Amino acid sequence: MSIRNWPIKRKLTAILLLISGLVLLLTSAAFVTYVVVTNRETIRIHLATRSRILAATSTAALAFANEADATEILAALQYDPHMVAGALYNQDGRVLATYPAGAGADLIPAAPQPDGYRFERGRLVGFTPVAQGGSQRLGTLYIASDTKAVADALRLSAVIALVVLAIAMLAAYALAAALQGRISEPILALAETATAASTRQDYSVRAPKFGDDELGMLTDAFNQMLGRIEEQKQELQQHALRLEQRVAERTGELEKRAAELQAANSELDAFAYSVSHDLRAPLRSIDGFSQVLLEDYATRLDDAGRDSLQRVRAASQRMATLIDDLLKLARVTRAEMRTERVDLSTMAREIVADIQRAAPERAVDFVIAPGIEAQGDARLLRVVLDNLLRNGWKYTGKQAQPRVEFTAKQENGGRVFVIKDNGAGFDMRYADKLFGVFQRLHSAAEFEGTGVGLATVRRIINRHGGRIWAESAINKGASFYFTL
Amino acid sequence: MAFLNALTALASVLLLVQSPRASEYQVKAVFLFNFVQFVDWPRVTAADSARPLVIGILGSDPFGPFLDETVRGERLGARPIQLRRYREIAEIGECNVLFISRSENEHVPAILSVLKNRPVLTVSDGDAFTNQGGMIQFVMDKSRIRLRINLEAAQAANVTISSKLLRVAEIVRPPRR
Repeated sequence: MSIRNWPIKRKLTAILLLISGLVLLLTSAAFVTYVVVTNRETIRIHLATRSRILAATSTAALAFANEADATEILAALQYDPHMVAGALYNQDGRVLATYPAGAGADLIPAAPQPDGYRFERGRLVGFTPVAQGGSQRLGTLYIASDTKAVADALRLSAVIALVVLAIAMLAAYALAAALQGRISEPILALAETATAASTRQDYSVRAPKFGDDELGMLTDAFNQMLGRIEEQKQELQQHALRLEQRVAERTGELEKRAAELQAANSELDAFAYSVSHDLRAPLRSIDGFSQVLLEDYATRLDDAGRDSLQRVRAASQRMATLIDDLLKLARVTRAEMRTERVDLSTMAREIVADIQRAAPERAVDFVIAPGIEAQGDARLLRVVLDNLLRNGWKYTGKQAQPRVEFTAKQENGGRVFVIKDNGAGFDMRYADKLFGVFQRLHSAAEFEGTGVGLATVRRIINRHGGRIWAESAINKGASFYFTL
Repeated sequence: MAFLNALTALASVLLLVQSPRASEYQVKAVFLFNFVQFVDWPRVTAADSARPLVIGILGSDPFGPFLDETVRGERLGARPIQLRRYREIAEIGECNVLFISRSENEHVPAILSVLKNRPVLTVSDGDAFTNQGGMIQFVMDKSRIRLRINLEAAQAANVTISSKLLRVAEIVRPPRR
């Protein structure tokens, strides 16, 4: 696990240990260095002192070249086990006596070196001038001491330093483990609270506060934030509740309204149906008796009377058509739907054949795309196609080359059926009135019709769950689009 | 380093002029000079401390140039060291160390009686010098020069010899006469 991902407790402990370890290490190094330096200085001073004492006592031996005495004086070095060699040189630099007696060249330099005390090859060597009473120099004293004292001091101080280091590190670890909690605990508590809040989405939890330091401030801020979130959440919940209630209310209202509308509609339909039905009987009488009058009493009527009767008949026949259409419209809404696969292309061709048979004098170019199929009620869809194709046929009546097309295309993932003509068209400003009952954009004199057809078509399309719309411009033809 | 060079240079000079006798008197010259450092004379006045310290040679001088070379420029504290040569005892005036040459061997008792009670350190390499009442005698011991000291004579003349010097010497008592 990389240090970055260590738990904060371990990080804090590690940092504290690292710092105290470093400090202790430096201190120990300083201590050991101090001890070693001090010891070196001490043995140097010792050697110097010893050398001066010996030099003072060996003046006469050097002055009068007494080897025996010189050897005896040097033999005193044996009482210090650290002294490894000694020698007295006379004024000419020749060796007068050595310690140990008869020591070889490896221990004793052949000639005296400059006065002073220095460490050389693991030894402390000293050359001291020998002079009586501050006058002429009589010779030189050489003493070499081992540096075991320094090594011993180094070893001892290193051991002490290590022991102190170990104890101090243990103490530091214990203290760090005990004290890191002051910093880590509030953070951990904060983290725990944050986790609880985010995972359980419970914003009522609060982080415990341990003190008034920055962490305490952080905890306060965090708790305030939680509080605000909780308030906002409650507000949101209240809003949502209110919204739901309102939606429920509205839905209820709408349902009630829809039911009322449904009831009114069916009442209206029933009314329209019965009215239309009931109107047919008297209309038939009017037409029938008008025919009787025309046939049986034609001789007794003048031209004006016959003309009036003709008009009565035409009007009553037109009214019958109107009533038929209204009945059809009412039936469309009342009839039960039977959904099946319907071949619209074939159906369109049959309708076109009917139209052309009824009016062979008109040559309208019908173009019907093959293989257009749809899912729906065959009887009702026939009414739709019949109305739209007949409209096309009708409104192209004043064209030199009338043309009506029936096609289908894919649009926005759904199938759109198009019936397009190159006829009179209409003003798009009145497009919304196009599908209303009895709404006509052209006069009956211009193009005959009852104004019920497109209303019927729209009802059927609506019952199939589809949509119908139209595009046009005056004298530019019209396109009717519908989906199912 | 300069000191070392000087030492080696000096040594080589000494070696060049070395001969058995020369070597012996060379050493004796150094010893004679060194006595000055290990002996105290009674102080008469405070002015003494600035007066020259006199090393005298009575009789024919056996040292050749060695003693002059040894003493040249040397001082004992503030006191310069002077070398004087005497032919007769009567010439001896102020003197601290007197080397009595072998040429005076026959006159030693007379000389010593003249010097009696004067603070003069008497030195000689004549045989039986200490027995005759002299203070320090050079003795040859297997080509080495040893010292023989008549401490009583020195004490009688009020000349104090350092214990360090006594340590490297043989102390003798002259037979009572």
